[in-house]
Amino acid sequence: MTTDKKKGQKKTFSMNGAMKCGAGIVGFFLLVALFAKQIAPYDPAQMGVPYIKPCAEHLLGTNDVGQDIFSELIYGTRVSLLIGVFTAMVVTVFATMLSLISGYYKGIPDKLITALTNITMGLPSLALTVLLVAYLNPGKTSIIISISLTAWTGTSRILRSRIIQLAEMPFIKIEKAIGMNDFVIMTKHLLPNLKDIILSRAALAVSSAMMTEAGLSFLGLGDLGSKSWGSILHYAFYQNGVVRGYYWWYLPPILCTSLAVTGFMLLGYYGVQKMPGGKKDA
Amino acid sequence: MYKRVIKKLAVAFSTILAIITISFLMVRFMPGDPLMHLVGQERYYELQMDAPEELERIAEKYGLNDSLWEQYVGYLKSIVTFDFGVAYSNDEPVLDNVLSRAKWSLVLSVPTFLFGGLFGAVLGVLTGWKPGGWLDRILTPVMLFLNTVPSNCIGILFLVFFAFKLQWFPLNGMTSGGLSGLARTIDIIWHAGLPMLLLLLFRTASNYLLMKSNVSQVKGEDYITTAYSKGLSSHRVLWVHVVKNAMLPYTTSLCMQLGGILSGSMLIEVIFGWKGMGNLFYTAVSSRDFPTAQLCFLISAVCIVFGNLLSDIVIALIDPRIREGNFDY
Repeated sequence: MTTDKKKGQKKTFSMNGAMKCGAGIVGFFLLVALFAKQIAPYDPAQMGVPYIKPCAEHLLGTNDVGQDIFSELIYGTRVSLLIGVFTAMVVTVFATMLSLISGYYKGIPDKLITALTNITMGLPSLALTVLLVAYLNPGKTSIIISISLTAWTGTSRILRSRIIQLAEMPFIKIEKAIGMNDFVIMTKHLLPNLKDIILSRAALAVSSAMMTEAGLSFLGLGDLGSKSWGSILHYAFYQNGVVRGYYWWYLPPILCTSLAVTGFMLLGYYGVQKMPGGKKDA
Repeated sequence: MYKRVIKKLAVAFSTILAIITISFLMVRFMPGDPLMHLVGQERYYELQMDAPEELERIAEKYGLNDSLWEQYVGYLKSIVTFDFGVAYSNDEPVLDNVLSRAKWSLVLSVPTFLFGGLFGAVLGVLTGWKPGGWLDRILTPVMLFLNTVPSNCIGILFLVFFAFKLQWFPLNGMTSGGLSGLARTIDIIWHAGLPMLLLLLFRTASNYLLMKSNVSQVKGEDYITTAYSKGLSSHRVLWVHVVKNAMLPYTTSLCMQLGGILSGSMLIEVIFGWKGMGNLFYTAVSSRDFPTAQLCFLISAVCIVFGNLLSDIVIALIDPRIREGNFDY
């Protein structure tokens, strides 16, 4: 997804500074996640001497059970990114499908889907997510499901209004008139024109999903098996790492989360802004 | 206008029904014994050990052996009569527990709502009117930063810096205890200081960004050019024409924020040990005390629905274009 974005940008050469910055951050974290095994000096679950300060052997010291925080952080990148990207994919695909149906067919399907969107927008997303995670057992899948359940509405609204505009344009009307298959029109003619919106909304979705995940795992509702950045912070906070001033324990996850969220946000936000120019080449 | 309000009422009503249905279905269909979801995990195990017949009685009361539809009707009835069960922690009705905590959430969220709304609007108008000025160059990056970074992260940094390093504020909790009268009030304000400052910053940041984009959008409209060409002073154009129009979407957003007044500060409440509703919800969820968690969810959901409804009604009242029905957002 991100590589697609970058390719598109190179073609137009209109990538501004903020977006380059975002792409750089995202690319960096993707590399770290991919090569976690090679970069991490220790097994993140391996225990040892607790509360070692940062030194040459343990770059970021160790936590309350002596796990190497630098390695934890690197493996945590995998978990955090995986949940963020996967949730964004689910959300974006779902929103795109719904909006294609409602924007293209209009009529009753549109009314139903709009009503569904309106009702979902009225739900308290964080409360519902927390409650759902409590009922389902904590884990990656339940987090992804609970976040996706309410996160699709914004994208679907924006896409729907754009599709309604597009469906009125001559090239779509001609396709319809010559009796082209609806599915072909949607995938070959509508989707390419929505590419920019979809990609930038997807980047924003990654950002907000990672933010929610960070909050959930901070509250201890995350995946207990493999720690994400949020879970590292959870342990740092609840095992008194914060009050005792073990900065090497709580600062790195905070910095990583903030940086990654900002990275995806910059990608998505500036993608939206440059939309009018980007549409031409699509 | 009336048609619009009725339509919005219908949406609000169906949303509440959807919320109730979701919470009903969650109890019955989530993995595990529904009875456990009704009484909470710990009480369930306790009763299973000591008094299995009591468990039977509860199952009978909630009609777990009846058909799903009968259960649903029973659930609706219990909601209408405010019967939400008994909390495991102190054997009080869940509703009393939640309401007494909600009061403490309001202590934090009402000032946040009022001052966040005010500061955000004023600063947003100033920088939206003169983009690129020194105020804009300082404020916008700071506000964007506050708006992007997860609130628990900044919360912990503030806790470390102001409460731990500088010791200006207490680390945790709501009172030091053993005080009464004025001393107690001052003590509570002192304890509320840091969480309130954080909430205020976040709220101001999002309101600021909204107001700034509203103002810069309105500024480009044709009627602003007209106002200038009539010879109005730029002061008058700003306060009479720009701000008046930029306030419309801002008011909508404020009404929506009113919906989150009870549930909006969960993470901050947890970090600072502020015993508000968000914290109660969190404790209930992590100890699998489902009756309490359910009620917190229902209350915050209903608040949000009402906030949205209020925003729809208020915007119709103050915007003549919508009032006369020829324009819709």
